[in-house]
Amino acid sequence: MEAIVTQNLSKDYKQVGKATVHSLRDLNLQVGEHEVFGFLGRNGAGKTTTIKLLCSLIKPTSGGAQVFGENVRTRAARRLIGYLPEQPYFYEYLTPRETIDFYGRLQGLDATARRNEWDKLAELLDLGEIADRRIKGFSKGMRQRVGFAVAMVGDPPLLILDEPMSGLDPIGRRQIRELMLHLRDQKKTLFFSSHVLGDVEQVCDRVGILVQGRLTRTGRIDMLLGTECAGVEVVAAGLDDATQKALAGRAERYHVVEDHIFFVAPDQEVANSLVRDIHRLGGRLVEYTPMKETLEEYFMREQDNGNAATPDTQAQEAAS
Amino acid sequence: MRIIAVAQNTFREAIRDKVLYVLLFFAAVSIFGSKALGWISIGQDIKIVKDISLASMSVFGVLIAIFVGTSLVYKEIDKRTLYTIISQPMHRFEFILGKYLGLMAILAVVVTVMTGVAAFYVMLLGGEVDRLFFLAALLTFWKLLLITAFAILMSALTSPILGALIVFSFYVFGHATGIFLDLPPHFDDTVAKHILEGIYYLIPNLANFDIRAEAANEVAVSGAYILWTLAYGALYTAFLLLLAILAFEEKDV
Repeated sequence: MEAIVTQNLSKDYKQVGKATVHSLRDLNLQVGEHEVFGFLGRNGAGKTTTIKLLCSLIKPTSGGAQVFGENVRTRAARRLIGYLPEQPYFYEYLTPRETIDFYGRLQGLDATARRNEWDKLAELLDLGEIADRRIKGFSKGMRQRVGFAVAMVGDPPLLILDEPMSGLDPIGRRQIRELMLHLRDQKKTLFFSSHVLGDVEQVCDRVGILVQGRLTRTGRIDMLLGTECAGVEVVAAGLDDATQKALAGRAERYHVVEDHIFFVAPDQEVANSLVRDIHRLGGRLVEYTPMKETLEEYFMREQDNGNAATPDTQAQEAAS
Repeated sequence: MRIIAVAQNTFREAIRDKVLYVLLFFAAVSIFGSKALGWISIGQDIKIVKDISLASMSVFGVLIAIFVGTSLVYKEIDKRTLYTIISQPMHRFEFILGKYLGLMAILAVVVTVMTGVAAFYVMLLGGEVDRLFFLAALLTFWKLLLITAFAILMSALTSPILGALIVFSFYVFGHATGIFLDLPPHFDDTVAKHILEGIYYLIPNLANFDIRAEAANEVAVSGAYILWTLAYGALYTAFLLLLAILAFEEKDV
């Protein structure tokens, strides 16, 4: 069974005297059970809107969504979801122990079950030392750990995390990344949004790219990046200055390091023609390396394509 | 269970909040300070102390109901604490009722403490505290419950500042609903008259809950009147809470 399914899920925000903002448009998405799905997009692309719709904090304008077959508007669905908002806030006057107890009560757990939950989560998230301190003075990293603990109360099979690494220092980010990998090993389904592509690359099975409220692409990272060749690096030697300059015209860029000339060809066809000419003109081929696109380059290209494809949203954003 | 969890948490939040103690301090000052007015009106000091104690109970209770009540839901949205709560497997009405019960418990403590302090002070001054004094305190508490329900409705609909202004107007006009009915003759047969009459029937008459003068002067109030007023307050409160629940049910947060 799919963990998340959405059908034409859309959300508009109407404001008096302003143009309607189409925050999310016709989202059709499937996330499989036990999958780690990264939801990418720039700020304002609709990531948080999607997450709020899945957690039933807001109502869709049209379309619908299910988690494990349950309509997200039902309590049964919410029982299956652990939710971590972006930069989570909890009651400042409570301690982590009291916070977990409170959320345990909201889940309907009895006192023994709540104590067990605390023991388990405190150990996993290293909350022991801060157990009885009020959240008021906590750093972002500590709050994020409490946030994860709250999301995991009741052991839900699906965790929806909104920018789980935003605002954290490198150590905090590594801790969260390791925690996510641990949860993946525990066969949890993780759906998380991010604009930090390096983190996404390290933990995700699959990604979806959202541009101005529209899902422009989904797929495995290796498949997405594997379909596009980002160029070929051709390294040659034994070419005189005039020949180098003549060949460089066909390359996207080139530079010389000692007696090696580095050409970057836009595609394999150009690279092959360069290789032929290097041999013909008495030079020597040192290296031929097809370059794969990084997730960042891919993401940026999707942004550009998405922007070009949906000029109406740009106009609306400008109007609002 | 979930309603109680939210209520206990609301209560705990207020108990750990300094504002409550500041308000209680000023309430105590006004009760003890009432003796000063007693000196001015010779031989009336017990009456004045009773009157001012009940009045300060009403005023400080309303201040708590307005300041805490109107920000109760809004603050949770603003600080985003609500996100992790209503994404739990609970009904939204459980959250509203829990918040209401928590605030009700705070007001119960505040009114009980103030009644206790005032009664003690009256006895210390050599006066007697009869059943009517406690009934007056009970009706004041009942009025606060109604205002709190309205404050929570406003909290689900608007910002705390606007909400506080509206609830304060509700409080003021609720004590003077007569002005909407006793209109000068030139209002006869005008649309304005019908609108103002409509407002008269819509706004609860908060003066009904005020038996302060009777309590201070030890003038008997019938049991039937007390029961009728309690039922009147309970019905209005239930209606306002229902509106608050409906407003919150559909709200995007």
